[in-house]
Amino acid sequence: MNPIPDIMERLKALFLRDRLERELEEELRHHRELDEAAGISPFGRVEEIKEEVRDARGVRPLEELIADTRYALRALRRSVGFTLTVVATLGLGIGAATAVFIVVNRILLAELPYPDAERLVRIYQQSTPANRGTISVVDILAIRDQQRSFDAFGALRPASVSVTGAGGPERVVAGRVTAGFFRALGVRASHGRLIEPTDDSPGAPRVVVVSHAFAERALGGATAAVGKVVPIEGVSHTVVGVLEPGRNDLAGFPAVVWPVLQLATPGRRGPFGYRGIARLKAGVTLAQATRDLAEISVRIFPLWAAGFQDRKARLTPVPLLEAIVGPATGQIGLFAGAVGLVLLLAIANVATLALVRTSAREHELSVRAALGAGRRRLAWLIVTECLTLTAIAGAVGVTSAAVALKGVGGVAPGLPRLREVAFETSGVAFAAIATLVAGVLVSVAPFVSLFTGGSSLAATLGGSPARAGPGRRANATRGALVVAEFALALPLLIGAGLLLNSFLRLQRVDPGFDPSGVYSLALSLPSARYSTPAAVQGFWRRAEARAAETDGVIAAGLAGSLPPDNFGDVNNFDLLDKPVPAGTAQHLAPWSPVSPGFFAAMGIPLLDGRLFTPGDSATARPVVVVSRAWAATYYPNESPIGKQMYSGGCTTCQPTTVIGVVGDVPYRGLAGEADAVYAPVGADSQDVDLSLNLVVRSRIGAAATFRALRSALGALDPQVAPVEVVMSERLRAALGDPRRWTAVVGAFAAAGVLLAALGIFGLMSYVVRQRQREMGVRLALGAAPGSLTRLVVGRGLRYAGFGSAIGLALSALESRWLGTLLYGVRAADPATIALAVAVVMAIAVLSCWIPGLKAARIKPVEVLGGERGP
Amino acid sequence: MATDRNDLLPGTLELLVLKALSLEPMHGWGIGQRIDQLSKDVFRVPQGSLYPGLQRMLRKGWIRAEWRTSAHNRRARYYRLTRAGRRQLETEASDWRRASETINAILRFRLADGDV
Repeated sequence: MNPIPDIMERLKALFLRDRLERELEEELRHHRELDEAAGISPFGRVEEIKEEVRDARGVRPLEELIADTRYALRALRRSVGFTLTVVATLGLGIGAATAVFIVVNRILLAELPYPDAERLVRIYQQSTPANRGTISVVDILAIRDQQRSFDAFGALRPASVSVTGAGGPERVVAGRVTAGFFRALGVRASHGRLIEPTDDSPGAPRVVVVSHAFAERALGGATAAVGKVVPIEGVSHTVVGVLEPGRNDLAGFPAVVWPVLQLATPGRRGPFGYRGIARLKAGVTLAQATRDLAEISVRIFPLWAAGFQDRKARLTPVPLLEAIVGPATGQIGLFAGAVGLVLLLAIANVATLALVRTSAREHELSVRAALGAGRRRLAWLIVTECLTLTAIAGAVGVTSAAVALKGVGGVAPGLPRLREVAFETSGVAFAAIATLVAGVLVSVAPFVSLFTGGSSLAATLGGSPARAGPGRRANATRGALVVAEFALALPLLIGAGLLLNSFLRLQRVDPGFDPSGVYSLALSLPSARYSTPAAVQGFWRRAEARAAETDGVIAAGLAGSLPPDNFGDVNNFDLLDKPVPAGTAQHLAPWSPVSPGFFAAMGIPLLDGRLFTPGDSATARPVVVVSRAWAATYYPNESPIGKQMYSGGCTTCQPTTVIGVVGDVPYRGLAGEADAVYAPVGADSQDVDLSLNLVVRSRIGAAATFRALRSALGALDPQVAPVEVVMSERLRAALGDPRRWTAVVGAFAAAGVLLAALGIFGLMSYVVRQRQREMGVRLALGAAPGSLTRLVVGRGLRYAGFGSAIGLALSALESRWLGTLLYGVRAADPATIALAVAVVMAIAVLSCWIPGLKAARIKPVEVLGGERGP
Repeated sequence: MATDRNDLLPGTLELLVLKALSLEPMHGWGIGQRIDQLSKDVFRVPQGSLYPGLQRMLRKGWIRAEWRTSAHNRRARYYRLTRAGRRQLETEASDWRRASETINAILRFRLADGDV
């Protein structure tokens, strides 16, 4: 059928309404005149016929909607308090949910900013999915030469380097990369070129690609930067290209400079620490690439078995997006869960408010009903009002989401891809859907209560006796609302409680040393000028001696790792008296080179055996000191002193002997195990330590100590750019993430509990008002006022009980995300859960108490006397 | 219920209006009169449903309305059939014929031996 006439007629009906009405009037009058002239008795019911014609025009619902919206806006303007409360509650709820939606969309789901990004993978050395590690030079060369699945493959080695630009030497994050790295990602240079295959072979001239921001900041602009020679760790590198602006990280690694990575021929399977990045060939699946790499793993294993015994380890491709954002899914999930619960609470709360308001307007609505407005018409009126209200709240929500997104970095600075988070139009669509759902949910309660008996309005509409108690269904709606509020508030409380519990435990973790007065300088020696082990050892010896002589310094020492979360190196080892079965992975432990003065500077006590002496580093007999946790793990019932191990998988080397046990200091984070192995600085003549921390204990404060140390070191080598670390700040910073998460979830929980309390209070007050006649009768018949209070509070507690049961089930789902964020407490911690339930019950009692007292103070005479009134 | 004038059979108003208008353009009163007359006063067009029905048919594009001066020199709203309306009339008329023949055939049916 041709739709044009239909549309035209409807448009006429909408926009030429007055003309159509005039014409209809004239047409019907003409008809009656002709009837009279012909002697036929003219028809009656003129108005009814007009109504039917209007219906037949097909725009009736739209016209009513417009009229209702106008009416709703007028009504909302009349009750400013109600409107503002609803718009604020719901608006912020929708805003927070929209912001989280965009975060999830942008971080977890959006494609990475590279061409055909779904074909990008990161390659791990993987024994089990939970045990993924970096790859080694052996792996890189094997993949490069043998793979059949990738268009391009490259490697990245993270580093912190000193670069000398316009502003003098500075320490920056660097990613040493092979040519294949840029090719795999498909990024381009805005100026100059990227690293080419000819650059990454050993002996080729050293080149570097820099970020646009670094070129602008330190090299006199992107154009001027190309061709410049910059010293990186004392080695001259020629700048060959500048990345496009905005490329502040590549493959999730935030480097400023990208020097060429030249791979020397390896002597053993390790060391690891390289990231493999590859681009799948078009049409090659992840499964095919996995098989391809697994075959390579099997092929190269026997060649290097002496130093690497994990026969099950496979080179494994993982989609790059998953590799980058995987660790953040727990945090974002927790965040999304908390926000979702608060939004639902806000909806339940607004539904309560709308319900109470509708009952307050019963009189007005009754009048309209008496004047002939049908049941359907009134229902639409209420629904329109709720939808108008939520639409305003939705607009507020979108605005607040745009603002909130700017604050995500402050709440969660550690999230990956944070720079890519920005407001997007899909957020508007999400907010619109959330608003619509909220509008419908909010409308249900007043809708049901209006038409299911109990109210005088229902009586007018349906003819049921006005004096009957609230209808069963209206009661159920109210009960459902209260139960929902409790059910939603409880998981929030439990989540916040668990995080707080875990945070307090973390705060109480003994760091194993007294951080006050302990300062550290991170030093890195340029390998170009410190090319021999003797030169390096000489510098470290002199630096430690100078530091120890500095005024105010009590003790000084050197260390490769810094507590609580910087394990510089992890090494594998095999105990001679308890070797692991053949073909399985060896034990791993944080492995830190230290000088004897380190333990004194940190204040780590010696518990057994002895510490290093200056002679230890030079002897042919390798020795280590272990932490108490290490000893307890591997020698639970005996002294580890004198026990021997092969370290680094080198079975042909001389075994290493344990000579001492010291107190525990965490290196795997405050929540991690405190196992650690200390080796003397300079013990490994193969692998000199170019980067170490100079740790001192001082009695003259941070600023004075750093000033004195800088001048002492400057006298040794003016080119070394130290990074200053105050140990007490480091410890505090380690608690930063848990503190933030606790604060965020705590704030949501507080908001949720407040919303729930207000909602329950409002609802129970409403129930008391609804039932005051019945309660008046009870009082008149001799009921004790206290029994009515108990009745109300008891009802509230019953709802709270139901709600808590549902809430407990909900919080079981939550534990999936919480688990990884907790320390020292299980997600199902009975004490925390019991406390949260107790809080919910207390809230129930408190928010029912006042309505309960009101019930007790009902004056039967007034309530029952009121029956005569209008 | 013995009345000599019956309301229209349900669903036949549109067909009859289309037929009436296929003869010549008419105003609403004229359509009613014409149907009454053609049915030899057996059917009576209910006034209440004539005008809403015309409005619906306008939206379906079967008829058009225009104001003209009537024979008695008075402004009146005349309806006329569109081409779509003429096609609709043919379809509905043939549907009606088939349906009524079928029903008649059913009503004429008897068992061969006359027994039930």
